[in-house]
Amino acid sequence: MTEPGPGTGVPFSTYDVTVPAEWVDYNGHMHDASYVSALSDANEELFSALDLSADYRAETGASFYTVEYHVHYLAECSQGDRLRASTLVIQADPKRLRLRTELVRGDGTVAATGESLYLHVDTRAGGVRPLTGARYAAVEAMRDAHAGLAERVGS
Amino acid sequence: MSRVATPYEGSGRRSWDPAAPVPAPLRLHEATVVPDWVDYNGHMSESCFLLVFGDSADAFFRFIGIDEDYRAAGHSLFTVQTHLHHRHEADEGDPLALTLQVLDHDDKRVHLFHEMRHGESGTLLAAAEQMLVHVDTQAGRSSPMPADLLDHVRAVREAHAVLPVSDLVGRPLAIRHRR
Repeated sequence: MTEPGPGTGVPFSTYDVTVPAEWVDYNGHMHDASYVSALSDANEELFSALDLSADYRAETGASFYTVEYHVHYLAECSQGDRLRASTLVIQADPKRLRLRTELVRGDGTVAATGESLYLHVDTRAGGVRPLTGARYAAVEAMRDAHAGLAERVGS
Repeated sequence: MSRVATPYEGSGRRSWDPAAPVPAPLRLHEATVVPDWVDYNGHMSESCFLLVFGDSADAFFRFIGIDEDYRAAGHSLFTVQTHLHHRHEADEGDPLALTLQVLDHDDKRVHLFHEMRHGESGTLLAAAEQMLVHVDTQAGRSSPMPADLLDHVRAVREAHAVLPVSDLVGRPLAIRHRR
């Protein structure tokens, strides 16, 4: 298990929320799709930290699109539970990014893990295009800083 | 916004007719992309794809006999894994048509494959592979399905045995390097 906490350090762990009413179903348990909301929101914080989120799209027309998402559901969550997430960059090249995200309940139980594959897309021209320059260097730096941790957190 | 609800909530289960042929695949759910589902890219977000697959799964649960009463009595099918594959964007107003295929099962587990296509063009927008486990919710552990539920799952599986299996099924998530 990864200990959340070091913020933008290793692993990337800024995400910290309380499960809101609109994430639960009639059982009072978090809905399948809400786990993906949480995992995606956590990853979006990583994209924001790398200046690769909504502002980047508005400025450049490029954006990361999700092509695959694989979620393992490990424990139930209820409204009011605290959830934190830690994210590792598992693989990256100029066009593709693979992240692994662990969602951890306030009591330390791992609630879910998600693996996601993103493509860097030119939304104006259409099609995949390489990420270059300082932003790609920052992605590589994060990937290198996270290297070897994926084995530790399992899969 | 209130809690998550499916379009079928409160509608109960379908009555099971053992003589009726089971459609292959099952086509139990259609939807239209609403503004709430769209993200800053202008496209339906990942979690909303899963919301729609979940609504189709709920329709399937009611087809085989799982509804609110069944869950209230202490058993349910829980999702343990979901693998989503995104193929094309879905935009606000797009019609969505869902299919559902039972790939395999045993007395506790059901392996499903969903496809989501554009309702008019038929373009594949997304697919989802899921593993479900039948659980005793009071005991908090897996438990075998009762005979009638198992019969229904088996009947669907047998009807779906003729369907081709997508090459997305069973594929690990990875960046694949060209040789």
